[in-house]
Amino acid sequence: MTRADLIIIVIAIAALPLFYWQLWGPNYPGTDVDIIVAGEKPQRHSLLRNQTLHIHGRLGDSIVAIKNGKAAFIGSPCPNKQCIRSGWLDDNGETSACLPNGIMLSVIGDGIARFDSINF
Amino acid sequence: MTTCIASERQDHIIAWFAALAIAIHVLESAIPSPIPGIKIGLANIVTIVVLVQFGWRTAAWVSLLRVLIGSLIIGSFLSPTFILSLGGACASLVVIGVAYTLARHHISAMGYSVLAAIAHILAQFWLAYLLFIPHQALFHLLPILITVAIITGIVNGSLALAVHKRLKLLIQ
Repeated sequence: MTRADLIIIVIAIAALPLFYWQLWGPNYPGTDVDIIVAGEKPQRHSLLRNQTLHIHGRLGDSIVAIKNGKAAFIGSPCPNKQCIRSGWLDDNGETSACLPNGIMLSVIGDGIARFDSINF
Repeated sequence: MTTCIASERQDHIIAWFAALAIAIHVLESAIPSPIPGIKIGLANIVTIVVLVQFGWRTAAWVSLLRVLIGSLIIGSFLSPTFILSLGGACASLVVIGVAYTLARHHISAMGYSVLAAIAHILAQFWLAYLLFIPHQALFHLLPILITVAIITGIVNGSLALAVHKRLKLLIQ
């Protein structure tokens, strides 16, 4: 092993924390939310405008609230209300789905998405 | 009329080392990986040893032949695995080629191995993102992959150093 080798290894190891910090560190708040109804084109709504939406699904109307940069299901005709329990979404990539009613919320934003998929 | 294709010493060296690299490549593919996507890449030791002993051109031949024939033997030719493998090999060759041209007398097998490992994983990651999984969440894997690349680069580098030391004695 030579001095040049050592320099290469030291630089590589020194650059590592940068990668971790850059790619694992910051959260990226979302800017919009996509409301996806099964079989239809997603509707995009800004997270900046507070509003309550009634979305027609397979079983009936799901109620989606957008408030202070977050979005959530607040009412649903589905039997077990998993969608409501998943709470308020604000980070890019966060997703909540109401499978019985066929409706999904997905937060969209700049930067790196925090989740690629979520299991319940 | 017969045509005769003359083979030179250089060709024999390429053939011998490519065969060795292919054997290691195929054997290693039989070892299950502890974490998907992570592999030590022992066959790259051959590329590095050939590089420091015989130069970049020979190393490029050995590396590309290994990827091509190794994939034919394993059965992954033209599959995503092959594309990632070829992309990684090409990127490594470019990076060690630059290092070889600039600082041949300063860098040993260890340095080349670490450089090649990092270039390899970056190219593979980029290809995987571009072609197969174009989702940004993939970037969360990158720091782990680079960490592993540095470790495998150092492991392979020390093995390559040891092999090269003995090989030099044999050849001289």
